[in-house]
Amino acid sequence: MIQLENITKSYKKNHVLNNINLTISKGEVVTLIGPSGAGKTTLLRLLNWLEVPDSGKITVADAAIDAAKYTKHDVRNLRGQSSMVFQHYNLFKNRTVLENVADSLIVVSKMKKKDAFEKAEALLKKVGMSDKLLDYPANLSGGQQQRVGIARALAVDPKVMLFDEPTSALDPEWVGEILHLIKEIAAQGMTMILVSHEMRFVRSVATRIIFLEHGELVEDSNPKDLFEKSKNVRTQAFLQKLTYEEE
Amino acid sequence: MGKIFDPEFMIRSFPEVLQALPTTLFIAFVSGVIGLVIAFIISFIRYANIKILSPLAKVYISFIRGTPDLVQIMLVYYGIPLFLKAINEKFGTSFDVNGVPSIAFAIIALAINAGAYMSETMRSSLLAVDSGQLEACYSVNMTRFQALRKVIIPQTIGIAIPPLSNSLISLIKETSLVFTISIVDIMAQAKIVGARSFRFFEIYIVVSIIYWVVCAVVAFALSKVEVYARRYERKVDS
Repeated sequence: MIQLENITKSYKKNHVLNNINLTISKGEVVTLIGPSGAGKTTLLRLLNWLEVPDSGKITVADAAIDAAKYTKHDVRNLRGQSSMVFQHYNLFKNRTVLENVADSLIVVSKMKKKDAFEKAEALLKKVGMSDKLLDYPANLSGGQQQRVGIARALAVDPKVMLFDEPTSALDPEWVGEILHLIKEIAAQGMTMILVSHEMRFVRSVATRIIFLEHGELVEDSNPKDLFEKSKNVRTQAFLQKLTYEEE
Repeated sequence: MGKIFDPEFMIRSFPEVLQALPTTLFIAFVSGVIGLVIAFIISFIRYANIKILSPLAKVYISFIRGTPDLVQIMLVYYGIPLFLKAINEKFGTSFDVNGVPSIAFAIIALAINAGAYMSETMRSSLLAVDSGQLEACYSVNMTRFQALRKVIIPQTIGIAIPPLSNSLISLIKETSLVFTISIVDIMAQAKIVGARSFRFFEIYIVVSIIYWVVCAVVAFALSKVEVYARRYERKVDS
């Protein structure tokens, strides 16, 4: 489903990702964890070509792209496979809730307006936002905005969903319901990659956890093994820090 | 000895000066619209950093900002006829070099001037739109053009209207320079009436009131447009 081959990315002299190789199968829910600056978000954003790697090859579902040589068509093809839920929601500020979800259907998928709005409405119902269809994002709470963000990402029928710290900008009272929503989508068999610091959630939803540090894949394991039996010193040190914070 | 200050004359002169108001408004409106079109094009050239054109745009903006408006009007007024003459000689065309109406020179000069200032406004407003908005467009696979049309430009307009309305108001006031190329706008009309009566102070009060009212009306109208363009933003109760 997803394959990263020899991916390298640096900002000036700062190496963010160092020769990353990774394969993810259909239906997997993969969580990227690691200290800040480890390259988690960059790795996620590469899959949507919001970051361009310095070198390497990326395959997502039916699309493959090589950083050494690619066309605009390759980029659109790659982006067409996945969609992203952002930490700060990034809803289109000048569009209503309904338009936020329907726009890509009308503009990108060339769906008829009526059909697009129907589909958008159904998705917004699914995420519990039916009563705010005509509101602008500025009038919604963080949790509500993120639900719309999830509906917008679902609208394009992605083969992979990417979540970039979807709850870290939220007030604590909204976190639970967004995580619940993500869990529901995962239960329907969606392939997902998440960056998250919600360790309890990660443990319950992820089928696989990847620990990144200094732009390298340090450990790649299932949640139970990683949290309970990890022998890796760096992983242990990171997890220990987290437990300390939770206490 | 007459009165030192003659308010009656002032009031009597209003209608005569106002006769030239359509000319002033016409010049301001047409050059404003053309200026906006220039601004759109230039700001996109710079936003997208198009090779060759982008540095040229920079020179254009720098030149307009660095030279007085009056000089620019003179350059256009004397330059365009020469340019047409050169074209006639080179290509055997027969443009009527002396037949170009003065008002065309005024509009061209003011549009070029306003275009430069407004393009900087447009560019900074484009850059002021949160980069996350463009990323979100890309994340649902919109092209850059689609993103600009649906999301970025509408937000840019909301940001740009207050500074653009400043430019437009400056433009209205700059039309007062066109009397120098023998166009009878309200400024020239005032000079004519003033010269006849030697009551220049009164007549300039009349002109300043007319400019003031026109600018205030335009500013009010644009503030309404701004409210509409930013309707999606959260209101802060103060």
